[in-house]
Amino acid sequence: MANQAPQQVSLQDEAIANLGTGPIPAGPYYRADYFELEREAVFRRTWLQIAHLSELPEPGSFIVRRVDIARASILITRGRDGQLRAFHNVCTHRGTELVSEEAGRRSLFSCPYHMWTFSDDGELRSAPDFERFYVDKSSCSLPRVAVEVCAGLIFINLDPDTDQSLRDFLGPIAPQLEKLPVARATRFSEYTYEIKANWKLTYDNFQENYHLRFIHPRSGAAAVGSDNPFGYPVKFGFHGPHRTQTIWSNPEAAPKPFQGFAFGKALEAALMDGCEMALAKDYFAIFPNFFMLGSPMTPFSHCVIPIAPDRSRGVIRMYWIGEDRNASQRFAREYQMATARDVHAEDREVIEAGQRGLSSGALSHIHMQEQEVLCRHLFHSVDTMVNAYQAQKLAGGERV
Amino acid sequence: MMGKTTLPEGFSELERFVPDWAVTHSADRAARRLDSTSEEREAFFYAANDLAAPALALLDSKPLAELDEAETRLMQLMLSLAHVALAVEIQGDDESRHAVGARHMTITRASADPR
Ligand code: FES
Ligand SMILES: [Fe+2]
Repeated sequence: MANQAPQQVSLQDEAIANLGTGPIPAGPYYRADYFELEREAVFRRTWLQIAHLSELPEPGSFIVRRVDIARASILITRGRDGQLRAFHNVCTHRGTELVSEEAGRRSLFSCPYHMWTFSDDGELRSAPDFERFYVDKSSCSLPRVAVEVCAGLIFINLDPDTDQSLRDFLGPIAPQLEKLPVARATRFSEYTYEIKANWKLTYDNFQENYHLRFIHPRSGAAAVGSDNPFGYPVKFGFHGPHRTQTIWSNPEAAPKPFQGFAFGKALEAALMDGCEMALAKDYFAIFPNFFMLGSPMTPFSHCVIPIAPDRSRGVIRMYWIGEDRNASQRFAREYQMATARDVHAEDREVIEAGQRGLSSGALSHIHMQEQEVLCRHLFHSVDTMVNAYQAQKLAGGERV
Repeated sequence: MMGKTTLPEGFSELERFVPDWAVTHSADRAARRLDSTSEEREAFFYAANDLAAPALALLDSKPLAELDEAETRLMQLMLSLAHVALAVEIQGDDESRHAVGARHMTITRASADPR
């Protein structure tokens, strides 16, 4: 598989035929009005990856996650019944943010303002001097948010009217994710970065290989070769708004001696964990802003969180099965995290430079070649939702 | 530190690296890499490189929770070596340029971090 030739992108391919070949408007990558549309049309009505089951290990565990683009704070609880639930972290009395911690163990949540107290199933349990109100406690539950899990990954959907299950949303990608280490992970390593760039511009960097040889001459040496000088993938796949690619690796690239030693340790650990290697070269891009690599040795996910039209936050996690079993596995996990971090460290600066250029307004359009088809597909997926949302507004609120 | 043995037998060559590189948290190891000179990194890498296999073999012989102080320090040196190896072996003379971006990648949690 490793020496398969890169895929030629055929415009006859049904999945991408409607993406066209024309230039892409630059505005969506910097304009505040487009970002506002994305807020409503995409992020408030799509499944969003937000956490992992291992963060709520036992009944009574809770986490709080801010979703900046939706201006929301979400409380996720694991009830005494083991059930996962998600709510807006908003007290139903007069709207105060209910929980200020990021995580903990508790089954009652009291609002600091007037001490309304909610249980982990969202019901209002007690409220001081409640006789003086004009409502029933039963109509004061925390606002529910849809929450579902695939492969240990927790997703929420902020659309109160959503009728699409997470499984339906993920389609054929769901069973593949279930085969990855993340599905059995009990812990993770994590690193984050702040970036002065639009979320799509940032995300796009990680779904094209055109830049590899220029930006990662050292850390990406094994990803290019004389047969494939740009390290283009051997395969693309499109599933609704999601996309996949199968990464090429240079069969002739020999690792450096210490690198080879560390990779050996990582491989040994992955095999002992019973990981499948079949999806090791696969990359799963889950719309809108999450992707995951299939490699059991580098089992990382990357979420690009939109903050502002020209600001994002990246969260990279390496999902591990079980505690560090021994010194070799601990060493391998450290080396693999540091390796991925080195690659990501090299991308940030050039993405910000791209944002400065786009934000200047100098360009009305940008160009994408055939091997940047995943970037084109992300733009089209977003733009389709934005257009549908606008059409719906014009039609007077009816969903189209 | 000279003359004092703080590492398991057979690893005295690494004794001089203990003060700088036996570091508890992953984020601090990454920071140490960025704050060190290339001479410091190379001295550590070339001294520790060949000792990594025997060091991990020794440490693998018991559960991580049972490592004594000397073994814990050796483990920490091996974890720092993971970062330093990337600087010396992969980045080489690109390391100082690379460090600019690396400073923005904040390690918030690592499998090896004590909890
Ligand atoms: S706003 Fe929460 S109790 Fe009053
Ligand atoms: Fe890159």
